[in-house]
Amino acid sequence: MSGGTSQDVAIRGNTVTRIIIHVVLFLFAVYYLLPLWVMLVNSVKPLDEIRGGNMIATPQHWTFEPWLQAWSQAQIGVQATGLKPYFLNSIMMVVPAVAISTILGALNGYVLTKWRFKGDGIVFAMLLLSCFIPFQIVLIPMARVLGVLGLAGTIPGLVLVHVVYGLGFTTLFFRNYYAAFPTELIRAAQIDGAGFFRIFFRILLPSSAPIIVVSVIWQFTNIWNDFLFGASFSDVDSVPMTVALNNLVNSSTGVKEYNVHFAGAILAALPTLIVYVLSGRYFVRGLMAGAVKG
Amino acid sequence: MASLTIRNLKKNYGAVEILKGIDIEIEDGGFLVLVGPSGCGKSTLLNTIAGLEDITSGDILIGDKSIAGLHPSKRDIAMVFQSYALYPNMTVAKNIAFGMEMRGVSKAERDKAVADVAELLQISQLLDRKPSQLSGGQRQRVAMGRALVRDPQVFLFDEPLSNLDAKLRVDMRTEIKRMHLRMATTTVYVTHDQIEALTLATKIAVLKDGELQQFGTPDEIYNDPANVFVAEFMGSPSMNMLTVPVEEDAKGLFLTLTRAGGDALRLPLPASAAMKARIGKPVIFGLRPEAMTDPASADRQGAEILEDQFLVDVVEPAGADVFAVTVLNGTPLTARMKPSARVKEGEMAPFALNLSRAVFFDPDTQVRLR
Amino acid sequence: MIDRLQQWLPRLVLAPSFIVILLFVYGFIAYTGVLSFTDSKMLASYDFVGFENYAKLFGLTNWKTALVNLAIFATLYIVICSVVGLLIAILLDQKIRAEGLLRPIYLYPMALSFIVTGTAWKWFLDPGIGLENIMHLWGWDSFSFTWIKDRDFAIYTLVIAAVWQSSGFVMAMFLAGLRGVDNEIIRAAQIDGATGIRIYTRIIVPMMRPVFLSAFVVLMHLAIKVYDLVIAMTGGGPGRATEMPATFMYSYTFTRNQMGIGATSAVIMLMMIFAIVVPYVYSELSRGGRR
Repeated sequence: MSGGTSQDVAIRGNTVTRIIIHVVLFLFAVYYLLPLWVMLVNSVKPLDEIRGGNMIATPQHWTFEPWLQAWSQAQIGVQATGLKPYFLNSIMMVVPAVAISTILGALNGYVLTKWRFKGDGIVFAMLLLSCFIPFQIVLIPMARVLGVLGLAGTIPGLVLVHVVYGLGFTTLFFRNYYAAFPTELIRAAQIDGAGFFRIFFRILLPSSAPIIVVSVIWQFTNIWNDFLFGASFSDVDSVPMTVALNNLVNSSTGVKEYNVHFAGAILAALPTLIVYVLSGRYFVRGLMAGAVKG
Repeated sequence: MASLTIRNLKKNYGAVEILKGIDIEIEDGGFLVLVGPSGCGKSTLLNTIAGLEDITSGDILIGDKSIAGLHPSKRDIAMVFQSYALYPNMTVAKNIAFGMEMRGVSKAERDKAVADVAELLQISQLLDRKPSQLSGGQRQRVAMGRALVRDPQVFLFDEPLSNLDAKLRVDMRTEIKRMHLRMATTTVYVTHDQIEALTLATKIAVLKDGELQQFGTPDEIYNDPANVFVAEFMGSPSMNMLTVPVEEDAKGLFLTLTRAGGDALRLPLPASAAMKARIGKPVIFGLRPEAMTDPASADRQGAEILEDQFLVDVVEPAGADVFAVTVLNGTPLTARMKPSARVKEGEMAPFALNLSRAVFFDPDTQVRLR
Repeated sequence: MIDRLQQWLPRLVLAPSFIVILLFVYGFIAYTGVLSFTDSKMLASYDFVGFENYAKLFGLTNWKTALVNLAIFATLYIVICSVVGLLIAILLDQKIRAEGLLRPIYLYPMALSFIVTGTAWKWFLDPGIGLENIMHLWGWDSFSFTWIKDRDFAIYTLVIAAVWQSSGFVMAMFLAGLRGVDNEIIRAAQIDGATGIRIYTRIIVPMMRPVFLSAFVVLMHLAIKVYDLVIAMTGGGPGRATEMPATFMYSYTFTRNQMGIGATSAVIMLMMIFAIVVPYVYSELSRGGRR
């Protein structure tokens, strides 16, 4: 969709239809923005103002106490550490997982398009199908294998899980991108005397910036936002952000501190939102590539 | 520099035969053009010479050294691709120097070689640009520069002009020819454009369905085609062809052509053994459009000319020439005339048929009858 | 023919990924499949019981609830997302000057975690502090919206949140499809005398069939996998009213210690997804091959 322009089909209506169209689009915008607004305004309100007041109104008393609470003081699990350590856990999990899965995906895509061999179609089909499996089907054996490998409840264990189940996507991205990359370039480089890795690093990789961005964003968003694997395979000191947020919001004890919950939710959403704002174009491209295979 | 020899070369993809035993030899400094319709195997043949595709059997030699099995970079060849295949991330200078860099040539030597080639091709001012900033013709030059800088034994060209517009194509064609005359490096050039083949080649190999149809000089290919396919493929407009039975009377062998309107025309035939064997049986009679012209334009030197009146069906002016279509035996035939002939549609006009240039083929085997 | 190492390098490079996928995806699927035929409880056991788990599973009220919920959720989620997505895409395609501003607004929810989405909507739909309270404060005293606390309606609140999260994505797919329509076809239709709305209903929307199919496959597989949203919003409640196959599998395997049943439910989920995805991927791949 990036770069596309409206075509000459505009419903040639009068001013009234144009106004209606704009009003409808505006109402949809309100619908999409409402939850974000609710989270934002209520994260800077004292608790009694939420309980007694209007949830969509701006605060009468501004307070950043909920943010401090959520970040470093809230009771999550046994200790009152706030979300900070879990935020760091997520970062330590996401960075290597994104890097490894993207590198492997790039190499796979390179082989699957430019160094084809008998049976490579089956390998690709297997990778592609792995994008769709419900992860419930791997939870039980994965728990055992992580135990055997000594990675149960550790961040490296989570990295492994996310690399494995992200490979299909990253391979798909790079395969589709490199498929459109002229094979004649590879041949020219062969005649020039470059080998497998030199062709990759000197010819393909320098032209791969857009798809690297797509792959990194996709993997970052998915891994950061993952809940199921985090909930299944983490231990006290490796719990990722999403799981910690859920523990914060859904712990049944004590008073419900909505403002802290909202501040925490924004903290959990912030990294992916920032990535989205900075690179929305590539984000959409990743979504599309994930949807329209082949 | 060296000759190039291709011996009984076969290439299969699984059960599919792509090349069915090709034998070609081109002398040192020769310009070989591989021509044929798409899917005829000409690009595959070029790729096997480059080492970009395996061969199933046979041999390829440069000079007297077999290169089959060698890595493309070790064959001492250079190649210009259809899409030019310029590395998009590198400047023009880097593109040209990349091969030398891979071979470990020193920076100073590389720079010198790049500068020399750039000057030769008049692209010195483009050296710092990226391929995306170049026009089609400039890209073409850079691709040639990358090949020239290697100073190889053999140049390979894979339809290098097909992505250019018509005008530029003609200019670059001349340029390639000039370059070849100057460097005198053995060259193999793939094209589907028969004009390119005729203008550039010292030898042409016409391919169809993985088989070599004819191998010879441009003159042989054009004037002395080995079979119907070669005769039809080379030349534009195509050679006129009619299937007619051979007859014999007191004056010798002849064909009967029926003009639009119904009256017959007697066409005398050479009394060769091959023709005599076809008495009572059909042959394909072929005559190039330029051998069928207005009487004033006819080339009469030592030629047997048949002049008569023909009904003009369609007139197609083409600037320097006018193509006049007349119908014989229900088949439209094209004559190439001078505009001064002033032929008109629906009117009779005098035609001069140069029978010395007529060629005949066996309709069953499609092979030339001599 | 190319140097020996060079010939094997590509396979060597692909090998780690291939082995990992073979073991961690297909090996694991096989293992879970095997477990579904055993009487595994808290720990894996290899006493085979045939199809007992499958028979038991389909006798369980919770599983039936999960399937009914999935049917309701998936149907509404897919239909509403498609309708809303297509509607917004068509409206956005009318040379709207603010498109650059609006499009990111429709799309940003896709960047959020379902846990965040769930938290936001959970409290916004909470009768005590959210929408109902707001309406009361605005003077609409009779307004009542207690779906999230209501066994019969809680599932629909999940639909509201899920549609909010995904419809922008469907919009983006349709918008790309609309912009991919050959302008000459539209010109031809205009010359044939078709006007704006007719061009859409008769020509453009029917041409969106592949987009509908892609959207269906993507949304359907998201629906079957939905887990975090339920956990964050309703925790499967009230009671077990918003149980879904994914939550069912998790609780039977890890909290109720019925690993055999859990494995069985996972196998059923996989079969549901593959029934939709495999034909789709197959047709997409073979279409790609013919290119």
